[in-house]
Amino acid sequence: SPFAQERGGNNSFTHEALTLKYKLDNQFELVFVVGFQKILTLTYVDKLIDDVHKEFRDKYRNEFQQKGTLGLLNGTFDFKDDFMRLLRDAEESSKVRAPMVMKTFEQSLKSQKTVKCMIETRGEKPKEKVKNKKNKGSKKEGAEAGTAPGKASAGDKQPSGDREELTKDEILQKNREEFFRRHMKAGEKSSKSPKPEAQKEKGKKPRVWDLENSNAKVLDYSNSATNGSTEACPVEEFDPDAALGDRNREPGRLYDLEYESDEEAEEEKVVQNPSKPSVKKGGLGGMFGMLKGLVGSKSLTREDMDPVLEKMKDHLIAKNVAAEIAVQLCESVAKKLEGKVMGTFTTVTSTVKQALQEALVQILQPQRRVDVLRDVMDAQRHRRPYVVTFCGVNGVGKSTNLAKISFWLIENGFSVLIAACDTFRAGAVEQLRTHTRRLNALHPPESHGGRTMVQLYEKGYGKDAAGIAMEAIAYARNQGFDVVLVDTAGRMQDNAPLMTALAKLIAVNTPDLVLFVGEALVGNEAVDQLVKFNKALADHSMAQTPRLIDGIVLTKFDTIDDKVGAAISMTYITSKPIVFVGTGQTYCDLRSLNAKAVVAALMKA
Amino acid sequence: MAGALEPHLEALRRELRAPDPAVLSVLLALIAVIVTLLIWRLVQGRRSSRKAVLLLGLCDAGKTLLFARLLTGRYRDTQTSITDSSAVYRVSSDKSANVTLIDLPGHESLRLQFLERFKAAARAIVFVVDSVAFQREVKDVAEFLYQVLVDSTVLKNAPALLIACNKQDVTMAKSAKLIQQQLEKELNTLRVTRSAAPTSLDGSAIGGPAQLGKKGKDFDFSQLPMKVEFVECSARGSKGEEGDADFEGLEKWLAKIA
Repeated sequence: SPFAQERGGNNSFTHEALTLKYKLDNQFELVFVVGFQKILTLTYVDKLIDDVHKEFRDKYRNEFQQKGTLGLLNGTFDFKDDFMRLLRDAEESSKVRAPMVMKTFEQSLKSQKTVKCMIETRGEKPKEKVKNKKNKGSKKEGAEAGTAPGKASAGDKQPSGDREELTKDEILQKNREEFFRRHMKAGEKSSKSPKPEAQKEKGKKPRVWDLENSNAKVLDYSNSATNGSTEACPVEEFDPDAALGDRNREPGRLYDLEYESDEEAEEEKVVQNPSKPSVKKGGLGGMFGMLKGLVGSKSLTREDMDPVLEKMKDHLIAKNVAAEIAVQLCESVAKKLEGKVMGTFTTVTSTVKQALQEALVQILQPQRRVDVLRDVMDAQRHRRPYVVTFCGVNGVGKSTNLAKISFWLIENGFSVLIAACDTFRAGAVEQLRTHTRRLNALHPPESHGGRTMVQLYEKGYGKDAAGIAMEAIAYARNQGFDVVLVDTAGRMQDNAPLMTALAKLIAVNTPDLVLFVGEALVGNEAVDQLVKFNKALADHSMAQTPRLIDGIVLTKFDTIDDKVGAAISMTYITSKPIVFVGTGQTYCDLRSLNAKAVVAALMKA
Repeated sequence: MAGALEPHLEALRRELRAPDPAVLSVLLALIAVIVTLLIWRLVQGRRSSRKAVLLLGLCDAGKTLLFARLLTGRYRDTQTSITDSSAVYRVSSDKSANVTLIDLPGHESLRLQFLERFKAAARAIVFVVDSVAFQREVKDVAEFLYQVLVDSTVLKNAPALLIACNKQDVTMAKSAKLIQQQLEKELNTLRVTRSAAPTSLDGSAIGGPAQLGKKGKDFDFSQLPMKVEFVECSARGSKGEEGDADFEGLEKWLAKIA
């Protein structure tokens, strides 16, 4: 679902106790997923996933390109052996870096520091100095073969390997192992600094804080025998899990996602033919390079997409999408398009725009049903009122839109009870009373079989909102009202006591629908508001699955012409649908969201 | 004025009478190109007329497995689809007919997008329903079905609709008849609620100007302009993963529409 919801920007995804790291291959439409337990930090995962990707792709490249869907369905992908081999290699390369014997004082870092270094404050500076020394030392000895065989082999393998494949973790590991290697030759080192040795003959075993990420293995002071075995155990414990996650998935499941690319494969087949002559043309001269760019078979690289994505990001931000959301969206689109082969006569801009448009439409599609009337009918059948709560910050239009929604419900023949739980703002109750009077005038009881369609339940000012809500719901149940609309006071998301009060109201009364009312004018604030509201609701709820915001009402939509980015920000943060859109201050100004129109307005230059 | 035109007309007439090969050949070439274009467009139109069978349904209804079974006959572990897959399916009763099966993802965020892309090419639609979870999901199933049915392209082309009640191998599965009744009731209610929903931002109503079935009468699948059939099937098959899937009804229907 990170792909379905366009959150594919990061490389990792946590679900319950597992962390999943994934990599997309857009050329053949493959997804590689590695799962491992969250509490363990496996440093070889990135490298493993890259290796697996490369091997798999090379091995089955022909099958993808020629056979299409049926081939993929029928073909057996006997990758198990290769995968186990890669896994073993990766594990070994990481095991080698484990610490062995506890270092003696001479081998430690402290003996290398000059006296001057030690006198200075233990801030960043001494660390930096020592690091520089260490790096200089490692550069000098980079060419030397280390005495410790295992470490040396791993260390030498790495610098000679692919430079691009080194992730940040690996660079740190490399530094660390070179540091270890250096200390194996303790004799040479101690000759360089006789003075500190004489001074620091305390025999205290130092703590190595200078290495940035000393993981648990380094801090483990048990001797080597137990080190080896304790280390083996966790590896075996999670080995089945990690491998199980992969073993079961790789042969069976990976290819399934591949065969879904038949359309792409067909396109590729078509593109392969023109690509062959174009490849020949490319050999003929640089002039044809431009033509080759136009005529298919050009795969998208990050560099090609970056300028276009920058422009799109700025465009989105200009349209009032929150900044972090725009960044994440562009990241996700980039991940999706990287390595994809473009069709004939499509430019990078058009491909990126198309992908972004699809992503935006996808975000605005509701994840759950948006049919309030249907749910009201259901509640009606069970003889209980359908409770809707409106929450939001000050001045977004809660009471106005509440009146509009009650008008709509009355038009459809449902009777409404309005609960005035805004006991703080002056005139809140009177405002609702005026609305009630107007609505009753518009829909008099005579035309609805003698029952008043709208009634106001209020208890004045200064009382507890949650209590009023509870009484209102009980009253509605007794009197047979179909819907209860609960109006709450506006509150800032940072105001802790008020957020607690709101959370209490919702937790105690368990409404059927919690609507967050947000105005379309809001920009980056939307993210903050929604996150904090959701957090407050989750924190103060006693239940196992807390009631969060179920839907969004986007108000004051008529005040923005086409800067409709707030809709995207809000749906992206909560993944909940926009249920209503308010476009004015009369009763008829209630609309529902049309995803395509909003996206068109967003993408319009 | 007429005098000025006269010599031009004379020149033209002279040209036509004494045919200059260059001009004539150019004219002929143009005519040939236009004719070719017209013929090509006609042929294109006829050829690309809807040879696709779409597999639609909610998440976890069994579309991808059904797809794999129809094409290869073997059981495969499947994941939630995030993109469509299509392949040509040869009808087994030895007719030379074949249709293109397209399996679309059921995820809520993706389904409408892919439906938009493929609805014009659809000759038939197989709507896969999870018979076991049906009681719980009846509203979602009905909503998706409603969205498919009121789509203007679908109404215009009226592709044959088959509602495949999948997962019949589980004992708790509901029968096709029950599903049909429940869907009719649900769609009946949906007609009312959808058309009463607030109008969309740009003015077009959500429910569309189309009204499903006849007004005033309860909704019935026979009121739709397309042929609707219900069939029970099981993609997994009663013998588990090793055996074959039970979907003779589905195969027969596919043979019929091919």
